[in-house]
Amino acid sequence: MRPERWIYTLPLRLRSLFHRQAADQELDEELRYHVELKTQQYLNQGMSQQEARRAALLEMGGVEKRKEECRDARPVSWLQDLLQDVHFGLRLLRKSPGFTAVAVLTLALGVGANTIIFSVVNAVMYRKPPLPEPDRVIVVSSSSAVDSSTPDRVYSQLPVSGPDYLDWRAQSSSFSGMAAAEFDSFTISGGSTPERASGARVSPEFFNVLGVVPAFGRTILAGEDQPGHDQVVILSDELWKSEFGGDQQILGRLLKINGNPCTVVGVMSPGFRLPPFLAKLWIPLVLSHGNLRATGRDDRYLRIFARLKPGVNVRQAGAEMATIAQRIAQAHPNTNRGWGAGVMSLQQYSIADMNAGPPLAFLMAAVAFVLLIACANIANLLLARNSARQREFTIRAVLGAGRLRLARQLLTECLLLSFTGGCLGILVGYGGLHALLPRFNWNEDAVVLAKEVTIDGHVLGVTLAIILVCSIFFGLAPALQFSRGDASNGLKEGGRGTTISRERHRMQRLLVGGQLALSLFLLVGASMFAGQFIQEMRANAGLNPHNMLTASVSLRGLEYFQPQRQRSFYESVLRRLTSAPGVQSAAVTSDLPFSSPDSLPLTIENHAVTNAGEQPTCGHFAVSPGFFATTQIPLLQGREFTASDNADSVPVAIVNEAFARRYFPGENPIGRHIRIDPAHRTSEKPSEIVGITGNVNEYLGQAVPRPEFFEPFLARPTGSMYLMLRAHTDPALFSDRLRRAVWAEDSNQAVTDVRTMERVIRDSSAGDDLLAELMGAFAASALLIAAIGIYGVLSYLVGQRTHEIGIRMALGARPDEVLLLLIRNGMKLVATGAAIGFLVSLTLPKVIAAGFNDFRFHAAWVIALAPVVIIIVGLLACYIPARRATRVDPMIALRYE
Amino acid sequence: MSKPSDLVQGTLDLLLLKILALQPLNGFAISLRLKQVSGDVLQVSDGSLYPALHKLEQEGWITAEWKTTENNRRAKFYSLTRPGRKHLEKEADNWGRLAAAISHVVRLKET
Repeated sequence: MRPERWIYTLPLRLRSLFHRQAADQELDEELRYHVELKTQQYLNQGMSQQEARRAALLEMGGVEKRKEECRDARPVSWLQDLLQDVHFGLRLLRKSPGFTAVAVLTLALGVGANTIIFSVVNAVMYRKPPLPEPDRVIVVSSSSAVDSSTPDRVYSQLPVSGPDYLDWRAQSSSFSGMAAAEFDSFTISGGSTPERASGARVSPEFFNVLGVVPAFGRTILAGEDQPGHDQVVILSDELWKSEFGGDQQILGRLLKINGNPCTVVGVMSPGFRLPPFLAKLWIPLVLSHGNLRATGRDDRYLRIFARLKPGVNVRQAGAEMATIAQRIAQAHPNTNRGWGAGVMSLQQYSIADMNAGPPLAFLMAAVAFVLLIACANIANLLLARNSARQREFTIRAVLGAGRLRLARQLLTECLLLSFTGGCLGILVGYGGLHALLPRFNWNEDAVVLAKEVTIDGHVLGVTLAIILVCSIFFGLAPALQFSRGDASNGLKEGGRGTTISRERHRMQRLLVGGQLALSLFLLVGASMFAGQFIQEMRANAGLNPHNMLTASVSLRGLEYFQPQRQRSFYESVLRRLTSAPGVQSAAVTSDLPFSSPDSLPLTIENHAVTNAGEQPTCGHFAVSPGFFATTQIPLLQGREFTASDNADSVPVAIVNEAFARRYFPGENPIGRHIRIDPAHRTSEKPSEIVGITGNVNEYLGQAVPRPEFFEPFLARPTGSMYLMLRAHTDPALFSDRLRRAVWAEDSNQAVTDVRTMERVIRDSSAGDDLLAELMGAFAASALLIAAIGIYGVLSYLVGQRTHEIGIRMALGARPDEVLLLLIRNGMKLVATGAAIGFLVSLTLPKVIAAGFNDFRFHAAWVIALAPVVIIIVGLLACYIPARRATRVDPMIALRYE
Repeated sequence: MSKPSDLVQGTLDLLLLKILALQPLNGFAISLRLKQVSGDVLQVSDGSLYPALHKLEQEGWITAEWKTTENNRRAKFYSLTRPGRKHLEKEADNWGRLAAAISHVVRLKET
């Protein structure tokens, strides 16, 4: 519009915005003047006063309607209408606090649940690693078929050997740089107490490839990957602050990393993370000559990072790497046959590594259902309320309100409701996340993930979209119903509430039935997860986890190079521990139960192996003599290890029951021999089986026990062991004593993962308990909301039938008959919903089994029980309003309109 | 009474602008003038007159002023603005071309 016109239009806009009343008054005056003159004109033509006025008004065609049209000519009128609608809507909501509270709270519950789950999904699926051009950062891995019979199923995230890495780097042209890292845990001493922290040995290009620079100091220089020049360390911001108090003078300080003196040369910035790879410190990676020999290709322990050259995409790089890997496999068939290269962006790698797809998908479905149920509830409440407002709408329509204008009013009210509920829902989400995230503690990955989960703009955007979709969803039903209404009908219907439109009832029944079916479905799903978890926890652990404390020690430093030193270290620690008051017994073991122990291939006497692939592979523990007493794993036959089972004595082993059953069925295994495959142990003498113990679980929820064998730790000491002690009282009280026992022996060693055995078992569920709890919470919310829904609809129906009930009772119906009638009415609805839900739930075991392949819970009784729960809840929700109806005084009811 | 042909969309605006181009008038006078100039061919109900006037006012083509009439009553007088006059010229041209074209088509000889 040209400025010249603004002179005329701008004052008008301002006037209609801020002096609306004056403008309206003038409009009124203008039209009145017209009608008066017109009346005068007709009077002059000889009409009577009354006739003339009537004719003048008729010609105008409804003064109020014209006024509305004139007001609509003002371009800002929509804004005023909106304000008016909001004002009116708020007043309505305030006037019916019960309705408002139920609608807002149920919606808040639904939106809150969705916000929580989506913020987790957001952190897992959509967070880019905090690096420049994160999509171009690639992880290159080894890939190999899961087993030779199915070449299509491939592990594509396996580590890479040193020689393979060097060949890849030399031959590939897709990348602007390639770097290697070996992730490990390191013991840092030289601070107050020795600590173990995750870290990495990295090649000098590492930080360059990722595109990051240190906060201060420097990273690794080109020559520092050579033996003898590698004594430098770079700290993460976190480690620098937690262990060194953010000391500004840290550069140049000498720390002991695994007992080797290293100079601090740099500190990374706080934002540097490389999910899912955890590291708090970085030291140079020295590719030793041993690894670079041809046989070193078998030793795969490196993670390879690369940055794509401009113009190259992931698929092209993948094709090139596949060709290179194939060429290497042909040149080195002994070590590389069947090995390929997997190329993924860091983000893809991270998502695949977390393997969080199935639980997140189920949680998202669950919260979507909760929200759907909440929306159906609000739709139902609105239906009921709007039918009570039918007359108001009709009168407004008669007075000249356009259909669109009324629909807009309804929509505004819906939006008001959903935004109030939605904002509250976001608060619920914040609160819920606050309560939820500390539970992400089963391992370090989960703790790191929890830090990534926030309600950011992305999450808020999705929540906003959800709220909008919701208001359309629950605003639609009443709006549809309204638009079908007819003005004259509306006025009539208000007169006597006997024949309420069947259509509205059908819609309400449909909504309530759907809610119930969905709730049942959720209930069955949640019960299955809970049942699976309880079954896992109850599964015979094989040991007595009560009053047990465990800790991990990994001996570092040159002085422990000799096995003899490792042995004497643990022997003295155990002596200290067992002599401490309150300690019943103590032991060391190479692996904890429930922590997926090592497996070793065996040759077993009298158990000939014909095919190479059929060699038995059994769980292996190296344990000290006190192990069975401490864990209370029962010894079924033979003897335990003693102090004389050491490196100089005849090699002995203990096997578990599953081992005995499998390899010596119907025989006595004691006195027989087993031998660890020579590829894993050189010059191995066969070990004699001296005892049989009960089975012990290797992971949570293990249904079938696996053959396991135990070797005496004294005969085969290693540096990394778990300490365990059994106390007479609360084991947590002994954690300090345990640490002190280690440090009394060597104050440079770190004691980590100090956990009770019960905690070890719980952590090994890797969040399954959380999943079960969340599903349970969502199902309970759904059930509650649905119950409110039944209650609301039935209350409304009863209210509508008060008149009829009055007649029935006046004609002699007994209260209990009326009660029964109403309850039967409601329960028909409940039963239909439950039946549909039941039928749909029959698919759940299959659906869940498709998502979780270790899901073994038998759901029959849960599927049978859930409808009973729904029906009981439904009965309660019907009973309360029905009972109220029977208390009605017939006289009042008959007068009731 | 047979219904008079509906005003072609937008022609009411053109008529109102033209009438106001001659002299400022109030609403009632405009309704009289409309009947007068067009005979009874173009009937504009009082009902549709005022919303149309308000629309033109909001668009800045006409402006309104409260004045006292000869019988000493306050009435709202509308007059054309400068942009409104230009708009009228343009619309009148358009209308002329349209009318000529249509009458040309209508008079085509049938063969």
